[in-house]
Amino acid sequence: MTEGVVSGGWQFVWMAYGITATAFVVYGVSLFVRLRGATTHDPRNVH
Amino acid sequence: MRKGTIFIAIGTALLLFGSYQGLFVAPAERYMGDVQRIMYVHVPTAWNWMLSVLFALWCAVAFLFRNNMKWDSRLEAALEVSTLLAFLLCCQGSIWAKPTWGVWWDWDPRLTTTAVLLFATIGILALRSAVQEPVKRAIWSSVATIIAAVDLPIVYFSVKWWNSLHQQQSTPQTVSSAFHLPLRVNAFGVLFLMIGFIMLRTRIAAARLERELAGPPVRIGEEAGELA
Repeated sequence: MTEGVVSGGWQFVWMAYGITATAFVVYGVSLFVRLRGATTHDPRNVH
Repeated sequence: MRKGTIFIAIGTALLLFGSYQGLFVAPAERYMGDVQRIMYVHVPTAWNWMLSVLFALWCAVAFLFRNNMKWDSRLEAALEVSTLLAFLLCCQGSIWAKPTWGVWWDWDPRLTTTAVLLFATIGILALRSAVQEPVKRAIWSSVATIIAAVDLPIVYFSVKWWNSLHQQQSTPQTVSSAFHLPLRVNAFGVLFLMIGFIMLRTRIAAARLERELAGPPVRIGEEAGELA
């Protein structure tokens, strides 16, 4: 940093976007998996 | 294709386009340089996090007044999605803070009140998983959500009420027009994604509730034996 100006910092940018994308993808996939389990498995029918 | 999936698809497309604009097309900011590009995910996450908390509050109040369990399923979904967004908000903020403030975290009023609300929603979700009786669970978590939501205006106004490291709210007049497109596109992207997530999560909560209200498991065969 020189004279109040931030130089560089792309690694922070990629980190922020990477964490955001990863969280959205993981959560979205978990929703589809849980939804499939919730709608196909009926515990009232235990064999 | 169900509505929730359509919202997620639109949100993903908008986020990809907005992020491309923010990362590769928009100019670097004069003082913060390229680090300012974090704004294009941080600010949309913050706006939509606030919306998700407001929606959770709406669901909690609606359940208490109408006593309809569909509002409880929506509340559970809104709480989980708001927790995800608050967690992301804190992570993105920390990553932006390091190169600009020199620290990953500061007990600044904005950051502290946001963290309080994050832990409050985690606590309410923990409460929901601990209570087995559906009606008690719905009432307790609705009341807890209303209490937790009191923190939301404190989060919003904290930068005005106290001396804060965090900058005050920006407006279109205080943000260069070159930054508007990626910011707005990503804001709608996160909004669509959040709506899609809440819709899918509501269906999961509703399916669980349906099973709980249907009663204990019945062994196939035992039932037939009793009839015989």
